[in-house]
Amino acid sequence: MGFFDNLALGLSVAFSWSNLFWCFVGVTLGTFIGVLPGIGALAAVSLLLPVTFHLDPTSALVMLAGVYYGSAYGGSTASILLNLPGTPSSAVACLDGYPMSRQGRAGVALLMSALGSFIGGGIGILLMMLFSPLIVDIALRFGPAEYFTMMVLGLIAASTISTASPIKGIAMVVLGVLLGLVGSDIETGTPRLAFNLPELFDGISLVAIAMGLFGVSEVIASIKVIQSGQIDKKITFRSMIPTRDDVRRFWFPMLRGAGIGSFFGALPGTGGVIASFVAYAVEKKVSSEPERFGRGAIEGLVAPETANNAADQTAFIPTMTLGIPGSVVMALMIGAMMIHGIAPGPQLMTKNPDLFWGLIMSFWIGNVLLLVLNIPLIGVWVRVLLIPYHVLYPAVLMFVCIGVYSINNSSFDVFMVMLFGGVGYVMRLVDLQPAPLLLGFVLGPLMEENLRRAMLISRGEFIVFLQRPISAVFIVITFVLLAWALWNALPRRSRGAAESAR
Amino acid sequence: MYTRDYRDLIGGGLLLLFGLFVGFHALTSYDIGTLRHMGPGMFPAWLGFVLAGIGAVIMVLGLFHPGDRIEPHYRQFIAVILGVMVFAVTVGAFGMIPAVVLLTFAAVLADDKLGVVGAVILAVVLSVLALLIFRVGLRVPLQMFKWPF
Repeated sequence: MGFFDNLALGLSVAFSWSNLFWCFVGVTLGTFIGVLPGIGALAAVSLLLPVTFHLDPTSALVMLAGVYYGSAYGGSTASILLNLPGTPSSAVACLDGYPMSRQGRAGVALLMSALGSFIGGGIGILLMMLFSPLIVDIALRFGPAEYFTMMVLGLIAASTISTASPIKGIAMVVLGVLLGLVGSDIETGTPRLAFNLPELFDGISLVAIAMGLFGVSEVIASIKVIQSGQIDKKITFRSMIPTRDDVRRFWFPMLRGAGIGSFFGALPGTGGVIASFVAYAVEKKVSSEPERFGRGAIEGLVAPETANNAADQTAFIPTMTLGIPGSVVMALMIGAMMIHGIAPGPQLMTKNPDLFWGLIMSFWIGNVLLLVLNIPLIGVWVRVLLIPYHVLYPAVLMFVCIGVYSINNSSFDVFMVMLFGGVGYVMRLVDLQPAPLLLGFVLGPLMEENLRRAMLISRGEFIVFLQRPISAVFIVITFVLLAWALWNALPRRSRGAAESAR
Repeated sequence: MYTRDYRDLIGGGLLLLFGLFVGFHALTSYDIGTLRHMGPGMFPAWLGFVLAGIGAVIMVLGLFHPGDRIEPHYRQFIAVILGVMVFAVTVGAFGMIPAVVLLTFAAVLADDKLGVVGAVILAVVLSVLALLIFRVGLRVPLQMFKWPF
């Protein structure tokens, strides 16, 4: 099929009534949740996973994706108006967005950040449309050895690059892989680590783990900590009109932001958060008047906002073409596909072209809807900021419990949520990140399967991973990352000594 | 601040124990197989010991750098976990609405901001919300009320 046939197919899928409806639901919920401080895209997508059991796979992915990129739009609203980032990736928007709002330019800031988000998202989608078929062509030639080493690289990258402590990130990945192995072994059917609980023979439910780690433990840590906002400003259309100077300063930061965001979004382990910080730093560097930054410079708002939305879209490239999630939200998307019996990987584009292109085209629709939702309806979202957390968190728990229970009418799954909520909170107390755990959990079984196949083909020789060129490259990069992680794990004092010795 | 990072000592220790447990459990309970034909036990056994090793490294490193205090929110922890538990225990026998009500009552204990009246109002609102979202919106066949006796 040609490129334009694919587009036509994608459009026809995306414009079906049910997909339009779920796209709308997704982006609306995404904006809503993004605006609420204390609930990020990750918690939102986890919370909504059970809902997708009751939808067809394309609608489910369209909705989850909408929640994800919608929350980036909403997140900046809380940053600009309250100096409280609604989502981590919009933390940078506080730096210049909040000063703008204190100068009475909140309307302009909101408009410009929504426009930047839209254009950044658009550029990300275009890149995805152009590059995905090329990557799929290469990936279709991968054998089990390449798959195994690619997954190892993806996991190591995701757990070392953007985490505070790479060694703990790797520990969490390994723990996640082990939890992913719970249940019947694919080849022999032996139930592993199931402790004679028949409920565990099919493995631990992804939904229960995600909700426990990102829903329940998040709630425990946030009660009494998160303060709800107080706003007395009214945002009118008149206040949104930018000055000629704003418009002049808008274009280049936006394009640079989109470039930076697209690049970091597609890499494993990096994403919207890093992209927005880098974009801000770059703008400050290239600016002729860096002293304006931090005091309401429009460039300092537009560039990171564009970058994080571009990154949110290009993050789908490795996920949809290789089946390798670069971030936890992407791992949840892969989990949602697997729940519906769709195998992620390069064959997705040829086997389920309707899902692949339909999802991409739904991104366009979603981004247009977001623009409409965020500019004229900004007043509604401002009011959402006033919902106090002590009313919100019981609602979150209600949603978690019913959501999990509704999948199989199983109280056992709710108990698993409780267990992982407790485990997640203890992990948080001892400074262990749950995000890499979930990545390992999703990829673990696939890794084992490919490792076993590769070893069978190579007759038990590990050298196969180095003999195949692509796989060898993956291994080399993995070892470089590991060496860097080890270096970072060394105690500060000895590192300082080593540096002064040089 | 402590001179040692007790978070890493505890966290690393837990990972060490869990890793050793999984490693030995896999070695003794499942077929290991050969490198060519890997059995169900090989991959978990390797990873279990790798995890134990990393846990040990985290522990040792924790001895040499300072760390923050561990400050658990006991009350929030107990209230939230209790809420999820009462939901799990009651939903099968009594149906969704009673489970939501009990969940709400347990959950509000985590914070002082809502009084008894507030909790009752919230429980009613959440029950209606649950009904609208799951029964009306998503058409999930969940029983609202049940009487097991």
